[in-house]
Amino acid sequence: MNRATIISVKDVTKIYREKHSRIESVALDHVTLNIEEGEFVALAGPSGSGKTTLLNLIGALDKPTGGQIIIDGTPLSTLNSSQAADFRLRKIGFIFQAYNLIETLTTEENAEYIALLQGMTPKQRKHETFHILKDLGLEAYLRRRPSQLSGGQQQRVATARAILVRPKIILADEPTANLDSKTGSALIDLMYAMSQNLNITFVFATHDKMVMDKAKTLIHLHDGRIVV
Amino acid sequence: MTTFTKIAWRNIKRNTWRSSITISAVSIGLAALIFLKSFVDGADMQMVENYTNLLIGHIQIHKSGFQKNNEIENSITNSYVITSVLKNIGGISSLAPRIKDYTLISSSEGSSGILLLGISPEAEQKLSDLHKRLRKGKFLKSGLDSEIIIGTTLAENLKVDLGDKVVLMSQGSDGSMAAAAYNVYGIVESGAEEIDKNLALITLKAAQELLVMGNKISEIVVKADKINSIDALSMEIKNNLDTNRFEVLTWKEVSPMTYQWLQFDQVFTDLILFIVLIVVASGILNTVLMGVMERIREFGIMLALGTKPQQISGMVTIESFLLGLIGTFFGTCIGTGLVFFFSIRGIDLSIISSALNNFYIGSIIYPRLDVISIAFYSSVVLLVSIFISVIPAKKASRLSPIEAIRHI
Repeated sequence: MNRATIISVKDVTKIYREKHSRIESVALDHVTLNIEEGEFVALAGPSGSGKTTLLNLIGALDKPTGGQIIIDGTPLSTLNSSQAADFRLRKIGFIFQAYNLIETLTTEENAEYIALLQGMTPKQRKHETFHILKDLGLEAYLRRRPSQLSGGQQQRVATARAILVRPKIILADEPTANLDSKTGSALIDLMYAMSQNLNITFVFATHDKMVMDKAKTLIHLHDGRIVV
Repeated sequence: MTTFTKIAWRNIKRNTWRSSITISAVSIGLAALIFLKSFVDGADMQMVENYTNLLIGHIQIHKSGFQKNNEIENSITNSYVITSVLKNIGGISSLAPRIKDYTLISSSEGSSGILLLGISPEAEQKLSDLHKRLRKGKFLKSGLDSEIIIGTTLAENLKVDLGDKVVLMSQGSDGSMAAAAYNVYGIVESGAEEIDKNLALITLKAAQELLVMGNKISEIVVKADKINSIDALSMEIKNNLDTNRFEVLTWKEVSPMTYQWLQFDQVFTDLILFIVLIVVASGILNTVLMGVMERIREFGIMLALGTKPQQISGMVTIESFLLGLIGTFFGTCIGTGLVFFFSIRGIDLSIISSALNNFYIGSIIYPRLDVISIAFYSSVVLLVSIFISVIPAKKASRLSPIEAIRHI
């Protein structure tokens, strides 16, 4: 079955320049890749190889120095900051290595945050949130704040937040880095099932062999370039 | 409660110490604004009341042109025309006819130029407070046409006391030389140097005889029921009198210097209030800005998840508004409570009473509880708390998600 390309990265370069100096570091060097809808992709490579930078560019969190990125038909270079925020809200879910939960919100409120921004009805939102948190074994922690949860629990809340609204693309930066192998494996299985059942495209930046084994497509990066 | 309001509220609670300091700053600042404004209003009101009650009254009616040159030739011939009109107008507490002339007073020890008032003693006692300010002797009565009341400084300058003789010299309305001797019957100490040094009172009849005025008078002085209805009352009198023949002047027009001083006092007070307002605004700005700096990473996360920059700035504004709202509530309660308490008890400033007396202000000042002023300053502080948040809100909304998330 031919699937449509949902992520198109064309000759993308990202160069970081230090403020008040001429020192430059090339994070991505003329990277080109295409990812199809529903693919389960792992970006592998050593630290500093450009995995997180590539995820940030695909997620419209940052802008490339050169080249073009088209996500689901939208060239990201055409979006201003407000449009980029709306684009992220509608199309992309993020799972960060450091969880990045909102400290002042409870487990339930964090999980439903994107759904709320999207305007999902309160009844549906509560229903979906409860079920997804239950599936992730967090139903007993609905009222807890992030500081009252373990690292693994926080990562599951972050996962729930990303997958609740079933975005077209989920970008996950080392999602299993702070989880034990059993929890990590369960989480990856859940994501893989969603990829298969809901046609959600997953792109992981990872060092985890388990994730790489599960991935249908494995892209190796080294010094900002794709290596075969 | 929307999520953004909830987050804003929780951020306020997150750093209770800092939020409490801001709320206290807003509360104390607003309470100070309300109290200061009420204190100045109370003092100004007392000044106007004392000033108008002491001598000049609320409204003066003269023959047209009298205010400009104060010539006795320009007197009211048929005062009944005016009094019959005034009888049919509501809101008048009392009225009194007067003769006003600038004359020379002399004793064996000296002489001085003064303002002479010919008064109807009984009517005058209903209109002015001069009879309450007697330091020595008694106030005039009808029929005591050879007696005079003078100010305490004038008595000292002339070196006269009760029972001593003084001579008034002026020009009669017919151009003749007018001179007569009077016995000092009372000495007034008003506290206002202008009056104590330059005023003398004789009966209306004595003045008419001295100045050869027949039944003519210089003015009719009117006291209104309420001090804040003076302008309306003046307008009504004007509407009922022939303004080609008579001039109707409020105390502000009779004594423009005093009115201007009051206006200057208001401007000066407003300036002080504005400075207090800036201090309050700085307190809010400081807290909200610090709150933003502390949460840069959190804003980055929210932006990354799809929160629009304007939603972030809205949330910061809500936070500032909530701080302002709580501070305004407590500030209004504290300020109103203080004003209410002191409006009954008064603030005793007798330690500087001599300075206050020169401005016709008593030694006990009663702050004036004005609901409109309280509502105005409370609203201003609340609005300032919203507008001041523009700076931190803009800062938060302009963050780059990636840089903000990396912020420690």
